[in-house]
Amino acid sequence: MRTIVAASAVLILAVLPVAAPWLQFVLTLAIAKGFAALGVAVLLRAGLISIGHAMFFAASAYGVAFLARAGINDLGLLLILSVLAAALLGAIAGLFLVRYRAIFFAMLNLAVSMVFYALCAKLYSVTGGTDGMTVPVPAVFGVVLGEPTFKSVLFYISLALMLLVGLAIQRYLNSPLGHALAAVHSNEIRLEYLGIPVWAVLLVAYVVSAALAGLGGAIAGFAIGRVVPDFAFWTASGHLVLIAVLGGIGGVPGAFIGALFLELLHSVAVTVTDAWNLIVGLTLIVVIMFLPQGFYGLFSRKEASSL
Amino acid sequence: MTFKGISIVVARCLSSFDLLCRLDRGLPQSNLRLVVDGLVGALAIGVVATTPAAAQEKPSSLGLGIFTFTSGPAAAYGMPGKNAADLMIDEINAKGGIEGVPVSATYVDEAQGAQGVIAEYRRLAGDAKNQVMIAALSSANCLALAPLAEQLEVPTVGWNCDTHQLLMDGKSKYVFRPNGNTVPEFIAYAIYLLERKPDVKTVAIINPDYAFGHDAAKIFTAALKALKPDVEIVAELYPKLGSPNYQTEISRLTTVRPDVVFSNLWGADLENFVRQATPRGLFASSQVVLALGETVLQRVPLPDGVIVGVLGDGWWMSPDAGANPETVKFGGAYKARFGEYPVFPSIKMANTLIYVKAAYKAAMQKNGGKWPTRAELADAMKGSTVATLTGTAQTRADNDGLVDQIVGVTVKTPAQQFPVIGDMVRYKGDSLMPQAGQDPLAWIATLNPEFAKSLPKPGSYK
Repeated sequence: MRTIVAASAVLILAVLPVAAPWLQFVLTLAIAKGFAALGVAVLLRAGLISIGHAMFFAASAYGVAFLARAGINDLGLLLILSVLAAALLGAIAGLFLVRYRAIFFAMLNLAVSMVFYALCAKLYSVTGGTDGMTVPVPAVFGVVLGEPTFKSVLFYISLALMLLVGLAIQRYLNSPLGHALAAVHSNEIRLEYLGIPVWAVLLVAYVVSAALAGLGGAIAGFAIGRVVPDFAFWTASGHLVLIAVLGGIGGVPGAFIGALFLELLHSVAVTVTDAWNLIVGLTLIVVIMFLPQGFYGLFSRKEASSL
Repeated sequence: MTFKGISIVVARCLSSFDLLCRLDRGLPQSNLRLVVDGLVGALAIGVVATTPAAAQEKPSSLGLGIFTFTSGPAAAYGMPGKNAADLMIDEINAKGGIEGVPVSATYVDEAQGAQGVIAEYRRLAGDAKNQVMIAALSSANCLALAPLAEQLEVPTVGWNCDTHQLLMDGKSKYVFRPNGNTVPEFIAYAIYLLERKPDVKTVAIINPDYAFGHDAAKIFTAALKALKPDVEIVAELYPKLGSPNYQTEISRLTTVRPDVVFSNLWGADLENFVRQATPRGLFASSQVVLALGETVLQRVPLPDGVIVGVLGDGWWMSPDAGANPETVKFGGAYKARFGEYPVFPSIKMANTLIYVKAAYKAAMQKNGGKWPTRAELADAMKGSTVATLTGTAQTRADNDGLVDQIVGVTVKTPAQQFPVIGDMVRYKGDSLMPQAGQDPLAWIATLNPEFAKSLPKPGSYK
């Protein structure tokens, strides 16, 4: 039952760009943001709100641009290396950030990400400042593609990754390490007394979430073809938290549902009026008021009753 | 059209949600219906989206995608552009449109950032009715859209973005910029300044903290150093874009006491800066150069003798503009409709629309009166020379435009309530541009005082 819904959703996603080619970019971007929001959602399970995950998103996108400048020109290699770079950055930042909780965690993440943003915007000779850096079209497993073909390939690779990574994260969240996150949220001290190192649990979660944001950032970098410091701005981080909350943190699909909803809503709203921010904002208020568990809440509630 | 399809899908999905929420939602039929609905909807979009528009026949209307800031702080600069486009399109349509086809514009708000701008560009480009994109205001957005324009083969005319990086590789087939770039724009100020104040020793720079501000500082400094090597830059300040408060910067500038303060602040930032700097005597103690000063002439009382200009030739009151009845009419109509006279972003937009119109005319002359394709339009833009409201826009082989540069100082006039530009000079567009493919900064370094002597003098443009 659940597999049918999931499979049909993915099938619809796969068919949509064939029908409306411009949607392909919007959907690729939505999936990319979905990865990053999933990273935020992982930490939300432990009750930790990060208003700084756009840093990892941007770091990985910049990573792609720098690696491409250095002569690496293979999609797979670029993806892996840039995600590793984001994970490494996550490990370094996580080392001290996971000691903090609640507002302190949120604010410190924000602070660190804004330092990163300032560096990207100010180091003109290195990052090109606010004009950013180009991300060239890489070869895919040795095959050199034209730009339109590459964008299609990128979309379907993202879609496949969404399934694979989604399943992997599902496994992680259902493992003892994943369940420990919820335990951190409910009673951290008890967890310590049970002999589980909270610090390690959170560090692993932090690195995983940074890597997820990094994967999203790399895909977004390829899709847009340009990296700008705005990727790391705090509003982008807030956007990711919003997507995570909107989609619901009850399950992995939530983040992707939230991202798809928000991107499509945005696309529709900007075509209607200059006051598109108003439409987006009002819709968000409605969703948050009437669906406190996010869109995923709709599905999981259904699950419970069909048992 | 595509959106009609999408709304069908959205509506269907919503009705499916209703099914999901009902008590019997476990039934397989409802799931099946969800899947079928989705697929049917997707196919419906496909049919709608892929219906080809008949090429070469005159369409019922011509779509233009116009990218500008319509929200956020940059709208101070973007809205005059949009207003001018509205007015110009109405004027074009009143005369029967472009080659008999009425024009309709779709505006895209650049404030949504590069991602949203790219998504909108792709959507508009997917509709064959939209033959030309007028994009964009922000240099970052122009740089992001340029590869897309080449890939989708849509003629894209940069109406305002100035960055000299845009067309540097010289390979563009579909990206055009019929106005100046940062290199001639800011060299012009260095030359004018040294003509007017030859003994300048110390210069301070206060520019907005993003690429435009940093590029301008680099070019202006390089030009000054080349023309007068003993000039010293005593302060370089980069306040954040959209700062409400410039007191710290003004304190710094008044304590350093430079001979000259150069700034390319714009919009509300510039208004704030002028309002806060005037009472503190900055305009009295230093010669101030406001590169985008013309945009605030009607809004804040600038003292006399401030060097201002229009980043090109787009001043609606210049002698050339005054001699052109079209321009005078445009200025009057703009004032009547929007309560203010046009500022140079308005003129840049109006000139860009004239440029597009001329391209249609040229393309149709060339192919024997048939409605041109996108490729034929781009071909017509290449190497073209177009008479605009305020001068001529000549397109080089690398698709970059050559326009003249007007610089002057603020003076009072009995004819207007606000200061106007006097003691003007009009530098020829090609005299301040490096050759196509030449590194701009290397070229600036080759300039020398003799070069400046060969150019017209302040006050020569009357």
